Amino acid sequence: MQLNHRVAIAILALAVSINASAHAILTDSTPKPNGSVPAGHLALMLKYNSKIDQARSRLILIAPDKSETPLAITANTGKPNELDSAADLKPGAYTIRWQALALDGHITRGDLPFTVTAAP
Amino acid sequence: MALLVDIFGYLSVILHGFVIVTQSMTLGGLLFLMLLLHPLSPRLPQGDVLEQRVVRLTRWSAWGLLLSELATTALQVSVLMSTVDLSFANVMQASFAVAGSIKILCALAIALGLGRRSMAQPLPRVLLLLVGLLELVAATATTHAYARLDHNALLMAVEGLHQFGAAIWIGAIPCFVLVLRHLQDTDGLTLVGARFSRMSMIGVACILLSGITMWIFYVGDVQGFYGTAYGVMVGAKVAMFIGLLGLGLGNFLVTERLRKGANASVIRLRRFAEVEIGIGFTIFFAAASLTSVPPAVDLTTDRVSLHEIAERNAPAWPRLSSPDHDTLAISQLQTQLDREAARDHQVAQSATTPGSGVIPPRNAEDIAWSEYNHHWAGIFVLLIGFMALLGRAGAGWAKHWPLLFLAMAGFLLIRSDPEVWPLGQEGWWIAWRDVEVAQHRFFVLLIILFGAFEWSVRTGRLKSERAAMVFPLLVAVGGAMLLTHSHQISNVKDQMLIELTHTPLALAGVAAGWARWLELRLPGRGGRIAGYVWPACFMLIGVILLWYREA
Repeated sequence: MQLNHRVAIAILALAVSINASAHAILTDSTPKPNGSVPAGHLALMLKYNSKIDQARSRLILIAPDKSETPLAITANTGKPNELDSAADLKPGAYTIRWQALALDGHITRGDLPFTVTAAP
Repeated sequence: MALLVDIFGYLSVILHGFVIVTQSMTLGGLLFLMLLLHPLSPRLPQGDVLEQRVVRLTRWSAWGLLLSELATTALQVSVLMSTVDLSFANVMQASFAVAGSIKILCALAIALGLGRRSMAQPLPRVLLLLVGLLELVAATATTHAYARLDHNALLMAVEGLHQFGAAIWIGAIPCFVLVLRHLQDTDGLTLVGARFSRMSMIGVACILLSGITMWIFYVGDVQGFYGTAYGVMVGAKVAMFIGLLGLGLGNFLVTERLRKGANASVIRLRRFAEVEIGIGFTIFFAAASLTSVPPAVDLTTDRVSLHEIAERNAPAWPRLSSPDHDTLAISQLQTQLDREAARDHQVAQSATTPGSGVIPPRNAEDIAWSEYNHHWAGIFVLLIGFMALLGRAGAGWAKHWPLLFLAMAGFLLIRSDPEVWPLGQEGWWIAWRDVEVAQHRFFVLLIILFGAFEWSVRTGRLKSERAAMVFPLLVAVGGAMLLTHSHQISNVKDQMLIELTHTPLALAGVAAGWARWLELRLPGRGGRIAGYVWPACFMLIGVILLWYREA
């Protein structure tokens, strides 16, 4: 393993560690946790209990085949406690792995599992 | 390395505790110098020397703040650079990084700028105070208040007031103790004591006003107080704050007697102030733990009801027989994996990966196993408290009671983590990655240390006064650490119900440690009373442990 790769893993470990402090909590989302949505273009919304630094947070879409795709977060100053994005989805079991940086510096991570059903 | 996740999470809370302690000592030291010692210095014997001592302590505190804040900020910056793939320049523009940088620069300015020459001139003194104020403002930008959706300005002002109150009172006590230690003159003691009492009152008023306001905005209602982790931790802080107020009142009465020219115990003033430092710093670590959980008002689901608390704590006979190790969930899972591997002619997987963050499975037998551990630990501690009381009453043989700690440590080391060697399959060394195992071992080490030291002191093997201090200090540290102890249980309500038991245990531990400290350090009636208080606290811990339930 290359040194910079090791360093990245070490730092990743530290990042996840901050998850132990469940500081920013998800208060609402589209889709809902363990919910289902029809296939097609989907607007994603994750709402938190505190203001989020949207430019320094992260959303990753984990597809049914376990492949991971980073999602672009829409800058939205009018909704400072949201992370908004969009994706075109086919049927299957997905997870959004989120990492939110609250404005006070706390980093929280979590998973939002949901199912995409065939369009009616 | 990715498996060290939870350990770093736990350490980050501890690190934040050090930031709060050093910030309070730095600001408290500055305020003590500017408002008390410098103005009174010409009227005190060796005032210059005292001032230099406090300057040195405050400078060291500032260096401590610089290092702890640097470590905290560097950790967060590294995390973001790595996980969101951002440049260093980008991350350094984040609010927390800007605030952290300002705090570091302010600490550096105080550490380098505070000295004999700057204290002699009014302008540098004012500038140093302004630097301290700037540090305090930056500190409020790394609190819950800055990220709240509403009332940011009000809540940040309130957070600032809270931290200012903590600094001018608790943060300044080490300076007060330092001065008391070197000041023999009664007039001088009266001057210093009276002015520090007034500073403390300002601190208490700031903490009360801000604390009540934060209660309204962060806790919200009574169920938020008893039904969430945030509320319980606030309760622990309030309980310790009341203890501090009691000690502060005792000191206020002493200074009032001195002011009126009556006889008063200066030694009690010093000893109570020492205990105030200990309890005050424990509150800071509780505060650090508090910043890692969401405010109670935000946690609208998964709250614990009074009925659930009553149901969980209904009296029941202690569990004195242990379930079989083979019936535990992990043992059964391992057996199943072994069987499947044997069938497929493969090497069996391990049922657990320490530090993976995956919460281990639990069944009714696991709960019984844990309850058995807690109940036997309760019997040990109850016996320790009882024998300590007997020893105090004159029973010579009872002086060997600290040996019970060593027996208890052995019991806990083997039984606390049944998935780990010698009972389980997990290796001894690899299990350090598991935060709960690491914490259990830390507590076992503390128990061994204070048991061994106290037995050596009681039997005359160690005659040093400092050796006698190890027991109370480690008991108090153990109590403080218990406030940050976490259980890896997936059910939030179950975790919360366990925390409701552990918090009184921690508080009783803190009280026991500092009561024993007073017994050793405070001559006369006060010390004798403290000598009965700490064994009683141990007996209370024993009873709480015997009462412990996980289902």
